[in-house]
Amino acid sequence: MIEIKGLIKNYGLNSVLRGVDLHVGAGDFVTLVGSNGAGKTTLLRIVATLQRSTAGEVKVGGWSLPKHAAKVREHIGLVSHHALLYGDLTAAENLTFFARLYRLENPQDRVAAALKTVGLLARQRDPVSTFSRGMVQRLTIARATLHEPDVLLLDEPYTGLDQDAAQLLDDLLRREWENGRTILMITHDLTHGLNLCDRVAILNRGKIVAEVDSAHTTPAEFLELYTEHTRRRKKAARMRVASGE
Amino acid sequence: MSKKESNSAFSIQHSSFWSSVWAIVWKDLQIEKHTRQIVSVMIMFSLVTVIMFNFALEANLAAARQVATGLLWATILLAGTLGLNRSLAIERENQTMEAILMAPIERSAIYLGKVISTTVFTLILEAILVFIFIIFFNKPYWRPQVILILFLGTIGYIAAGVLVTSMTIQTRTREVLLPVLLLPLSLPLVLPAATAVSAYMFPQLPAIAEIQTPLSLVLVYDLLMLVVGFLTYHYVVES
Repeated sequence: MIEIKGLIKNYGLNSVLRGVDLHVGAGDFVTLVGSNGAGKTTLLRIVATLQRSTAGEVKVGGWSLPKHAAKVREHIGLVSHHALLYGDLTAAENLTFFARLYRLENPQDRVAAALKTVGLLARQRDPVSTFSRGMVQRLTIARATLHEPDVLLLDEPYTGLDQDAAQLLDDLLRREWENGRTILMITHDLTHGLNLCDRVAILNRGKIVAEVDSAHTTPAEFLELYTEHTRRRKKAARMRVASGE
Repeated sequence: MSKKESNSAFSIQHSSFWSSVWAIVWKDLQIEKHTRQIVSVMIMFSLVTVIMFNFALEANLAAARQVATGLLWATILLAGTLGLNRSLAIERENQTMEAILMAPIERSAIYLGKVISTTVFTLILEAILVFIFIIFFNKPYWRPQVILILFLGTIGYIAAGVLVTSMTIQTRTREVLLPVLLLPLSLPLVLPAATAVSAYMFPQLPAIAEIQTPLSLVLVYDLLMLVVGFLTYHYVVES
């Protein structure tokens, strides 16, 4: 479903992605973890058609980016830590707007069904600015899945959520996965990352340095692996700086 | 994905460009209906400007009447920059422009939608301004020809404004940068538009030949800006 080969992204002289290879099959739930500045968000934004790569190949559903970006957009949904919603519009108005943008049939029915799924039907006439962070994130999922995308991209969806809201988000994501959606999530939250998905990839300094099957990895093992990879890279970088390379 | 695409559940209608334009316009009008941020700010600014000028020129009523048309356009341009800034700033808050850009719609539909909604807001302002100017300066701004020139001038100004604002809104100095870039760009529009409106400020209507050139310049500017915006907007929002 998502095929990334030799992906490079440079901002001027600064290289953010240095040859990323990643395969996410149809129906897979892959979590990408990494420290700040590892290039996670840049990678996700390229897959989301919001940025262009410097080099390499990215295909979503067989369509290559950026050439077939318009086609890819029909099949992806993005949940970010930013709401991507209008605070001054009501929940129903927000979803109606996106239903119109995606030219969905029976937008009112689709909006009502989406609000019911995320448990916000009773608040449909309230402005989003009056919602709690958890409610906003649930509405964000409703927006991202309104057009029934094949691929759901999640950029730090747990940011700012309390325990209950995070649990609700877990349930929603599990439901989306069970519905057959392919999910690529980036997060700092190693526990959530490991528990929810079927594969975790570690991105460090612009490269995938390890991939693990979450069913056969305990949180302790994963934490050790994560620390080892990120520390090893940091140490190597420090040595390169010290030796003047 | 191909299986799912053929499935009726995946029900994206590949319908017209205009439904996307209307979605943007509808959304902007809904936000304005709830907040009244854009029109009220433009009206407040315009009222203050007109009152200030009126006091400044009170000693010389004849001079005030002579510069009234220029003052009308200056007020529209300055209030317009406030409206443009706010209209595009809405898309920066919560990064909603990214959600719009992820939808499978033409970037030119976003541009046109923004031009239409901001033009509607500016026309509401102009309706109030015309009323005020008739009262303050006792000039025939109610004439249909004047209304038509104001309408055409507004389209050109907003067409250029949405394009420039979409660029400046991404910068830190957007409030300063917008008037600095947009006002000189609007000169080729405002000069003929003000000339054409001035021609209708006398009791006797002007000959068609007298306003033909300024009106043509306004129309050419409108067309040019709409075409440039239409063709280049995807570079502006995607870069």
